Amino acid sequence: MGTVVSLTIPVQAGAADAGSAVRPVLSGHTDAGSTAAHDAQAVVDRLEAATAVVEDQFAGLDAQFSLYKPTSEASRIARGELSLMEASPLMRDLYADAIRWRRRTDGAFTPERPDGLLDLSGLVKGYAIAEAGRSLAALGLTDWCLNAGGDVLVSGSPAPRPPISRDGGPRGGAGASAWLAGIVDPADRRTLLGAYPLGGTGTAPDSVMDAVMGAAPGMGTSPAVSGRALSGRAPRLALATSGSAERGDHIWTVGIRRAGGGAQRPDFVQVSVAASDVVTADVLATAIVAGGRATLDTVTARWDVDVLVVTHDGALLATPGFRAPSAA
Amino acid sequence: MRTRAAISASLASLGILAVGWQAGAQALEAQATAGGSAGTTGTTGTTGSTTASGTSGASGTSGSASSGTSSGTSASQTTGSQAKAQTTYAGKAVSTRFGNVQVQITVQSGKITEVTALHLTDAEMRSQMISATAAPILRSEVLQAQSANVQTVSGATITSDAYLTSLQAALDAAHL
Repeated sequence: MGTVVSLTIPVQAGAADAGSAVRPVLSGHTDAGSTAAHDAQAVVDRLEAATAVVEDQFAGLDAQFSLYKPTSEASRIARGELSLMEASPLMRDLYADAIRWRRRTDGAFTPERPDGLLDLSGLVKGYAIAEAGRSLAALGLTDWCLNAGGDVLVSGSPAPRPPISRDGGPRGGAGASAWLAGIVDPADRRTLLGAYPLGGTGTAPDSVMDAVMGAAPGMGTSPAVSGRALSGRAPRLALATSGSAERGDHIWTVGIRRAGGGAQRPDFVQVSVAASDVVTADVLATAIVAGGRATLDTVTARWDVDVLVVTHDGALLATPGFRAPSAA
Repeated sequence: MRTRAAISASLASLGILAVGWQAGAQALEAQATAGGSAGTTGTTGTTGSTTASGTSGASGTSGSASSGTSSGTSASQTTGSQAKAQTTYAGKAVSTRFGNVQVQITVQSGKITEVTALHLTDAEMRSQMISATAAPILRSEVLQAQSANVQTVSGATITSDAYLTSLQAALDAAHL
């Protein structure tokens, strides 16, 4: 049995996090059956090299997008020294993405602050993590878990793959185990509300889907569409959590017509979204905090994601994916 | 393409959910184009022939019992007869978020007389939709975790990163 190794590296990521340090944590594991110190050291070395790359990427994005750095491109745009037309391609691309997300979420997610300032922070963090993930893959790392500021992206499994060759069967057979991501309880941050499995190969089967689809004649032979498992569910590789408990000021409820009218406090204290990519998870979690119940229902109807919500009175709302198998 | 317009119209009248409808339209588009492409899934009938010659759709390789079958229920099946030959064509099964959707059309005298969704009824699709929504859940029903058996922790970013760091230290201690 291998060992999970985690590294924490301080990185200033003000753009993503109101000026406080986000510490990307990269985890991997040693080889199966190995507890030898030099093997563990080799894993640590590989992770350290990869972490240096990730650190560089975060620092670069921070220098470009942080509104807490007066010299950043984002700050220059905010001060009116630079127009979007003159901005860098990445800035323009992310702005275009943000506008698309605003449309898809019916305005719940927006790149404009109530004071009219352009703020892409809600998108940059997810983008930074996704970029880091692409770098890790490019470095040839297959099994890792990256956590930056509470948003998680994984690849592969925390446990070494069994030495037996795995057949390509969608069901049955012991798949690689999933990463287990705990979710902080906003009422008591020293405890966890629960956990959610990410990655692995045996993603939790959706029992409802299985009941409907399992015995459909002639369906088993059709190739899965867009890489989905037979359950029809996209793989869950990312988990993002957004909250209004500590810093309600960083999520705006402008642009949404609320039943009560006006910008009241958000319905939800904390929203976690599990999706196949980290940008989607991050954006939708932010959108649901901003848009409340209406956006929650819109998101679960339109996207193949799992959501766990903590309301102001401590109650929980969840899609089936967050249910423990015994409780399903 | 008038056929396609007719298909869309009949689909609309079915009131299938947008996702299923798109899938259905897609599947039928495959139908409306010239057949003969060896379908790996489902079936391809002959092109929606407007000659009403009663030719049956060539069935594909796999698929459900009803796919690609063309049931001729006409009174006179004589060759070249312009009788009211009814032919049913099954579209390709399309995987959607709520399950597989397959649409069957019935053609009579070159006109689509009926569109039926196979494998997933409207009601089933709605129940899938409902099952995907967020519902109240007790803490005891959430997949539980102790900090000892998770590899990472997701939480809203907090101004003090001391918490994350200390929790990470605890995780490291648990695993190393």
